[in-house]
Amino acid sequence: MANFNLRKAEPKDVPDILRLIKELAKYEEMEDQVILTEKDLLDDGFGDHPFYHCVVADVPAEHQKVEGYSVIGFAMYYFTYDPWIGKLLYLEDFYVMKEYRGFGIGSEILKTLSDTAVKNRCSSMHFIVAESNKASIDFYKRRGASDLSLQEGWRLFRIDKENLLKMSAYE
Amino acid sequence: MEFTIRAATLEDCKDISRMILSRCELAEYEKVSDQVKIAQRDLEQDGFSKNPFFHGIIAEVPEHLKSKEGHTKVGYSLYFYTYSSWKGRAVYMEDLYVMPEFRGKCIGKALMSKVSQLGLAAGCTQLNFTVLDWNKSSLDFYLKLGCWDVTSDLGYHCMRCEGDVLEHLAQGDL
Repeated sequence: MANFNLRKAEPKDVPDILRLIKELAKYEEMEDQVILTEKDLLDDGFGDHPFYHCVVADVPAEHQKVEGYSVIGFAMYYFTYDPWIGKLLYLEDFYVMKEYRGFGIGSEILKTLSDTAVKNRCSSMHFIVAESNKASIDFYKRRGASDLSLQEGWRLFRIDKENLLKMSAYE
Repeated sequence: MEFTIRAATLEDCKDISRMILSRCELAEYEKVSDQVKIAQRDLEQDGFSKNPFFHGIIAEVPEHLKSKEGHTKVGYSLYFYTYSSWKGRAVYMEDLYVMPEFRGKCIGKALMSKVSQLGLAAGCTQLNFTVLDWNKSSLDFYLKLGCWDVTSDLGYHCMRCEGDVLEHLAQGDL
């Protein structure tokens, strides 16, 4: 399949972005964790100070393999900062629908993101992958990604809302 | 101990840079200059322009409690806003540091509490950060505060594409 188009997401893409977020979460067996709504995505991605940026892959009508869907892949990213090395690009989500894999769409999305990182003077692109997701780990390692958790012992920690509230009340 | 927590200003970048370098030395990196590419002026530009890449808070002690070398700015935290595709707005605490001679006085906890307050005010539902697995005292500190280890519990590994790898990806080389 040669015909697909990568472009910056627009507000009208929000329903498709949420659909693909849920498909990816289902693939990771975490579908019930998605509480984000279309309104959240619209407010947070397309206002004056967006929390995230998105690129989408779409296919023209004659190449649709799944009826009704022209947006068939996406990547969500934002800029972060390391005070030792400066700006970074953080890849939050990256997904291509099953029916459209193997055509180079994922590689093209990654190339676009890497190009965005370089153009914005980011020294690195960071992301997380579940260790059980062998296909994705192989995809990234083939392209030279390092596993900081294995190689340098980095552990991602989180504090959720309930404990965040307790934390904020500390005096 | 008497201390205040406040938002960092442009004038604080000199002390933030000082503390970044001393934590690098504490981590016993042999060539500090090789590891730290960001200078005071980069912090000023990246943190205090119209679209900052990070925000900072400072822990300050009064003059009569200043450090052996005469510093009153004795701790800091750098944070920025991120986004979870599952939960929405989130805050990421990139650095949390208190000078060794001021530890054990709840300054670290107060800094983290301030980041939590600011995150909640901005509509965030989670705070994320990374810890190195050999840093037992930090791991214990955070676990006691109700944090959980996403890498251990969900098996999520932190990955990186940098330098030449990033350049090749940008050019479409596989």
